[in-house]
Amino acid sequence: MRVEALAVARKEVRQTLRDKRTLVVLVIAPLLQLTVLGFAVNLEVEGLPTVIVDADRTAASRDFAADLTAGELFEVVERSPVAADGVAALVAGEAEVALVLPRGFARAELAGRPAPVQVLTDGSNANHAIVARNAVEAFALQRGLQRLRERGAVPTMGRPDVRPRVLYNPTLDSRVYFVPGVAATLLLVVTFIVTAMGLAREKEAGTLEQVLVTPLPPSALVVGKTLPYAVVGMLDLGLVVTAGAAIFDVPLRGSLFLLAFAGALYLLTTLGLGLLVATLAKNQQQAFMAAFFIILPMVLLSGFMSPVPNMPEWLQYATLLDPVRHFVEILRGVLLKAAGWADLAPQLVALGGMGVLVFLLSARALSRKLA
Amino acid sequence: MSLALEAEGLVRRYGDRAAVDGLDLAVEAGELYGLVGPDGAGKTTTMRMLAGLLPPDAGAVRLDGEALTIGAGAARAAIGYMPQQYSLYGDLTIDENLAFFGRLFGLPRKARAERTDRLLQITRLGRFRDRRADALSGGMYKKLALACALLHQPKVLLLDEPSNGVDPVSRRELWDLLYAFVEDGMAVVLATPYMDEAARCHRVGLLNEGKLLAEGPPAELVRRFRHPTVRLTVDDRDAAEICLAPLDEVLAVSPEGAALRVVARAGADLDALVPGAEVEPVDAEFEDVFLALLRDPDSVEARP
Repeated sequence: MRVEALAVARKEVRQTLRDKRTLVVLVIAPLLQLTVLGFAVNLEVEGLPTVIVDADRTAASRDFAADLTAGELFEVVERSPVAADGVAALVAGEAEVALVLPRGFARAELAGRPAPVQVLTDGSNANHAIVARNAVEAFALQRGLQRLRERGAVPTMGRPDVRPRVLYNPTLDSRVYFVPGVAATLLLVVTFIVTAMGLAREKEAGTLEQVLVTPLPPSALVVGKTLPYAVVGMLDLGLVVTAGAAIFDVPLRGSLFLLAFAGALYLLTTLGLGLLVATLAKNQQQAFMAAFFIILPMVLLSGFMSPVPNMPEWLQYATLLDPVRHFVEILRGVLLKAAGWADLAPQLVALGGMGVLVFLLSARALSRKLA
Repeated sequence: MSLALEAEGLVRRYGDRAAVDGLDLAVEAGELYGLVGPDGAGKTTTMRMLAGLLPPDAGAVRLDGEALTIGAGAARAAIGYMPQQYSLYGDLTIDENLAFFGRLFGLPRKARAERTDRLLQITRLGRFRDRRADALSGGMYKKLALACALLHQPKVLLLDEPSNGVDPVSRRELWDLLYAFVEDGMAVVLATPYMDEAARCHRVGLLNEGKLLAEGPPAELVRRFRHPTVRLTVDDRDAAEICLAPLDEVLAVSPEGAALRVVARAGADLDALVPGAEVEPVDAEFEDVFLALLRDPDSVEARP
């Protein structure tokens, strides 16, 4: 069986090396996508286009607007004394935030009365809207306290003094959190689709039939067809982790061996799924569609975009069946927290169990189909 | 001579329709057997069952007297199969395709190299060893597919419409090769829709709607044919054909030059059917037998 499996693997490698497009999908695409996606999935909000509507036109209102927008968060794109302009800019999509300082702002502040400030935000990007609102509220609170101090009315009563300290990712760089997710997703897409398409192509081209009239055992076909892509998958994992470190400063704190081991288990599930899809599909088109429909929920349920604890409870249980979820957790654990074998044992066991199960199932389905 | 391949009561259904319906077949070593029939007769389904690619719904296939177990390695080593459609790796060269299939058959390197050389020599593909399969002409491609099916020196060779898409010269080469293999004792089963090809087989089975209508050496089938065949010369050939075709007495009509070739039931009065036509009796050919069998299953007398 070993000889035949190697013959299949060898043929697979030869075909892949000859097909420049597959080669690009296998090696260049993951790197390119990691870079692009890594930059794209960035939760840090900055440069929100902002309209300042200063109807008060006093030193105090100008101060307020200037101090608020001094940071990176807001980028003033328009100034107008008319409130309607602010709304218009939001409606037109030219701005996401409009800060309205109504007439009488300075007088009210001076008199110690509440000085009204209106913030209009574009809620279609909920995240941006919340960040902008919180920033304005925090700024207003600071400014109020400062004014109290200036008047000598320093509040001295005991208040909680919050001093946050962030572990593992002190600068709260969201990319450090996302890159492992991107890596897991890329590995899934590449190995799953290439395996599924590779076998479906043989079906379509009729070559599978010619292979099946030989005494080749089905197990040799399965091993031969997946082995080369397993190797490519491991290489991709190495490339992506290296690129993540080089481009996005994702640390590598844990054991490389643990990472490679988990990667191998993960690949068992992705390659197995690819085989399963190819077994059931009639042609490449069907295989591709099926792969797409399976990959999308796997990625969404992995907690790579939205954290698993934010999902409804029943869905959280469903995520336990998602190999991507476990591998993302392992990647984050090993890369960011130097988590060890003991820490990640549940994820490793889950991944290993699923990997072996999926692979055996698909190998069986395939050999039954072939027999 | 010993039986190389034997099929008994083969049935394969697709939904309600039986593609192959109780087929018996026996092919001896050194025999070239032709499975002849129109498109959709069940030829490919039969070939796939004989090759062990498709499990029959009923019946069995035996190789050398041993039942063929679907998927069993030993059975596969005894069979060479060349499917009708493209089945080789187009992005691999001739050499690479042969090497790949040779490995799958578990041939040692030395045997592989020797047989590859020999097959490339007799198929005259030697000059193109480094050419990719999808860059080969139809005839060269078929010869390569044949070489791949012969690498492991099977006892039984199954060919599904081998001359499909092959030019006449390559076609003759292909047949010369087949005769040579059969001479060496190989059993060859060949499916074809072409009557001229069928006529070159040692024995043929005429297949229609999954059933064998008649079986025997082509010349013998013609001898046992009980209906007269005539050449009919009329002024308006096409009109006469349209008139004759639906008649019960007429079993087959086909144009032959400016005239019509007609197989009528014994005793039918063609002069009365087409008044004024010139009727000239001719010797039946294999194609006449086949066409008549499609209308009347009793066209061929039972073996004496």
